[in-house]
Amino acid sequence: MILLNDISQTVLIILSIGLLISTLEYLKKVQIFSPNGLLSWNVMQLKWTKQDEKSFFKPLFKLFSAPGLAALFIIRCLLIIGLLFFPLQSTTGWVLISLLGVSLLVASLVTYYGSDGSDQMSMLIIITLILCNLPAFTTGKLRDIGIWFIGLQACLSYTVAGIAKLVSAEWRSGTAIKDVFSTKTYGSKKASLLLQKYPSANRFLCWNVIIMETIFPLCLILPWQYAIVFLIWGFIFHFFTALIMGLNSFFWAFMATYPAIYFINHQMPWHLF
Amino acid sequence: MLKLNPIVIYELVVTFFLAFWFLATILCQFKETKISSFIRYKIDYFNLIPLWTFFAPHPGKRDYHLLYRDKITDIDYSDWQEMEITEERTIWSWLWNPEKRDKKILSDVVQSLVSSIPSYREKAGSLNLLMFSMPYIIVLHAVSQYKKQSQNCYRQFMLAESSGYQKETAPSLILLSVFHQI
Repeated sequence: MILLNDISQTVLIILSIGLLISTLEYLKKVQIFSPNGLLSWNVMQLKWTKQDEKSFFKPLFKLFSAPGLAALFIIRCLLIIGLLFFPLQSTTGWVLISLLGVSLLVASLVTYYGSDGSDQMSMLIIITLILCNLPAFTTGKLRDIGIWFIGLQACLSYTVAGIAKLVSAEWRSGTAIKDVFSTKTYGSKKASLLLQKYPSANRFLCWNVIIMETIFPLCLILPWQYAIVFLIWGFIFHFFTALIMGLNSFFWAFMATYPAIYFINHQMPWHLF
Repeated sequence: MLKLNPIVIYELVVTFFLAFWFLATILCQFKETKISSFIRYKIDYFNLIPLWTFFAPHPGKRDYHLLYRDKITDIDYSDWQEMEITEERTIWSWLWNPEKRDKKILSDVVQSLVSSIPSYREKAGSLNLLMFSMPYIIVLHAVSQYKKQSQNCYRQFMLAESSGYQKETAPSLILLSVFHQI
């Protein structure tokens, strides 16, 4: 039976929802890996030009057909469901999450194009949980280190995104969000028209994202009643990027890091004031 | 004094690994340096070092379009056909959005192709070598899967960009390929 009073377990449960959705999405689009698909292995294998790389990964190459990857995705779904029944700290739970990690690493060889920051955050969390929960070798201290790593990576991601926007003239001038929303790839016709009508809303949104992302790590050191403002902002931000931009997997991958941020905040021996 | 036993050694190894991972992530943000290139292209086979600069410094404000046509005779060509990749999302896309993968793949491939064009121009003086690059081959492979006009078909593709719902900017050409026998 799993309990949500454990931070690592809570991180894993939230992430699992996103991973299950993302894996089912890949299953739906598995034809992209077929011989005539965008990520056909006939073409993707050209990335491995060196002989030593080819011989190292060769045992996996048979897997990179549409049926092979469909089987991998189905197994991954079963592993995720299995993790709902076995705690991370149990041997079975650890074996399940390790196999899940292996499936993510193997698939990453063929999804070189098309993967995004949420896939990387998911992989980062899963590998950390595997390493920090190895039965018989793990200690409470190591689990804490793993949670710190996840929380710090989350804060780093927001700050880097914020600084990158701050140095961008398009973001500073307050046109970036309108321009992104105007694309069919990441935008929405309604949102685009709305922002064209209200340029001040566009400027407000751009600066809101720049400022909140840049100072996001303050949530680690502010007293909890103030720190939670950042997490509520993050929740709303990711919800709307899922709603307007279709970035659904980012929501789950980044929400999964919030229990780690909560943990770090509560472990801080001092706060800013 | 720290007493070394397998548990302590394991704890130290994992701690150092995570510290290295965090440091490598910091080094690989923003400007590309020798160290970041080495980490990203020589060590990171599994794409484990993220780039966290989402939609910045240049927000993706263009939609990419991939079109192709066949040569029927030396002077006669079929009409341009567009590969459907930028279809509009459904009301459930906030929860379930499998279509995002195709769009992201093409967007990544095109961006990779576009970013490599200047270096090919500079090094080789022409874009002929671009035809051997991975993104070019992916695009050619994708368009070559569509129904052919004849058995012995020659196909050309065009990459173009538009500003989506903003109609004030005209679509522009990124790359026009030569005719390839497919």
